Amino acid sequence: MVRLGRKQRDSRQPQPVPEIVGTRISDAQPRARVCVIGKVTRMTARPTSGQPALAVSISDGTGTVTAVWTGRREIGGITLGRRVAIEGVPVKRADHLEFTNPGYTLLPR
Amino acid sequence: MKVIIAGAGSVGRYMAGQLQDSGHAVTLIDNDASIVANGQATRTPVGVTWFLGDACEVATLRSIGTADADIVAAVTGDDEDNLVVSLLSKQEFAVPRVLARVNNPKNEWMFTDMWGVDVSVSTPHLLTALVEEAVTVGSFVRLLSLEGGKARLAEVTLAAGSPAITKEITQLGLPRESTVVAVLREGHVVVPRGDTVLHEGDEVLVLVTGGVEDDVRRALVG
Amino acid sequence: MHVIVVGCGRVGSEVALSLASTDHSVVVIDRRLEAFRRLGEGFTGTTMVGVGFDRDVLTGAGVTPDCAVAAVTSGDNSNILIARVARETFGVQHVVARIYDPRRAEIYERLGIATVATVAWTSARVLRHLLASDTTPDWIDPTAKFTIVERRVAAGAAGMSIAELEASTSGRVAVLGRFGQASIPAPAMLLQEDDVVHVVIASDNAASLDSALHLAGETH
Repeated sequence: MVRLGRKQRDSRQPQPVPEIVGTRISDAQPRARVCVIGKVTRMTARPTSGQPALAVSISDGTGTVTAVWTGRREIGGITLGRRVAIEGVPVKRADHLEFTNPGYTLLPR
Repeated sequence: MKVIIAGAGSVGRYMAGQLQDSGHAVTLIDNDASIVANGQATRTPVGVTWFLGDACEVATLRSIGTADADIVAAVTGDDEDNLVVSLLSKQEFAVPRVLARVNNPKNEWMFTDMWGVDVSVSTPHLLTALVEEAVTVGSFVRLLSLEGGKARLAEVTLAAGSPAITKEITQLGLPRESTVVAVLREGHVVVPRGDTVLHEGDEVLVLVTGGVEDDVRRALVG
Repeated sequence: MHVIVVGCGRVGSEVALSLASTDHSVVVIDRRLEAFRRLGEGFTGTTMVGVGFDRDVLTGAGVTPDCAVAAVTSGDNSNILIARVARETFGVQHVVARIYDPRRAEIYERLGIATVATVAWTSARVLRHLLASDTTPDWIDPTAKFTIVERRVAAGAAGMSIAELEASTSGRVAVLGRFGQASIPAPAMLLQEDDVVHVVIASDNAASLDSALHLAGETH
């Protein structure tokens, strides 16, 4: 899940702080696998067809994406203001990209 | 449009043939070697690309071009397979439109966006609905579920006592989350306008979103 | 604790027999009646013929949020369906699914479902996932002073860094499993719900690990 920056790819060396490489949200394309890094700006419960779902908006200053986790009401550590990396293949919604059940990494503030 | 159909049984092959005829680029995938070999050898349906493989595997879906498919139709005879194909198509490939077949009506509740399904088609359900529609006048019959259950197409044949008869559509008091899509009258399709007047025997097709079915039923059935 | 085992094959029957012989109530579900023969004569649990992702069947098997569900049929797809229905429809926390295809496991782990791959497949591993109170270690050193234990991180511990966990337990996180991938974690990495950590810890200190990971409340 954690992709290392160039200078840290030498696996013989013990790896210090891992650096996650993300794409700017404004550069992310629908239907291409991408990793974006941003802050949680909004969290909404979005139940559909009787099943719970959690929709989280993440912004990085260049844009906002939505990550939707189906069948969950909350995810440990995902709170307003949390820095997080999201990885997956997003669909194109009206005015933003949306990820379904993406991989995520909680990041220090 | 690029269409991938998982499941080359009679339903999948029929769909493939129809869609290919309409000018779409169709790929058919099935796990049964003899079905695929036969299809490739006889080149039926015409123009369709065949693949042998398990559509429930990400690597397989990738190799058949799911990454740029416009539509994936999961129409195997196995509900579990159809759900998994749908989930992978939506989650791993962001396919814009995912259609899935429901074999056992008891499983229909799962065929929603929870598993990446945009449109579910339940043959037994449709058949029942069509039978109901054929034999009942004055009842509210659900035909089709769209957008993972968020929108439903329903049909009412206006019976003699219906409160909708001689009213214009705008006078029906239909709730905001519903709309009359078509009125079938004596073999013609009437495109409904606000001032279309409804008659006894009209088949009114209504699209309903949200939980307003009861209000629509009251307006059309009484 | 009440445990529902779906799939009465070799592993399912072993898990069921093992659980029934201790203090747990067990229901085994299988589509085929003949499968229950594996349980033998003296089986003290209950058997049910049915489909494990059918809501009525699970209700009939006594499913509640506090129970545990093992989806161990011979089909990956069935197991994922069972696991999601148990978790998302019935709120079951302790769910484990057997997945033959490791690539699929990665995707399903993102749905928050614990998967156990066939290669590492033993009934012992299933039991360990089901029973949070099972403290069987991965390894104990010959002097018995140190052990390596495996724990699944609960939501309450999410956001804690590896360094914090190591400091509060005087242990070391040897391996971190997340979304089906394993790595040797850096100290600054933050723990997430459903992560699997393998921790080297002084045997005397093992209990502090459970409270650090907020697992203290999960006794069955």
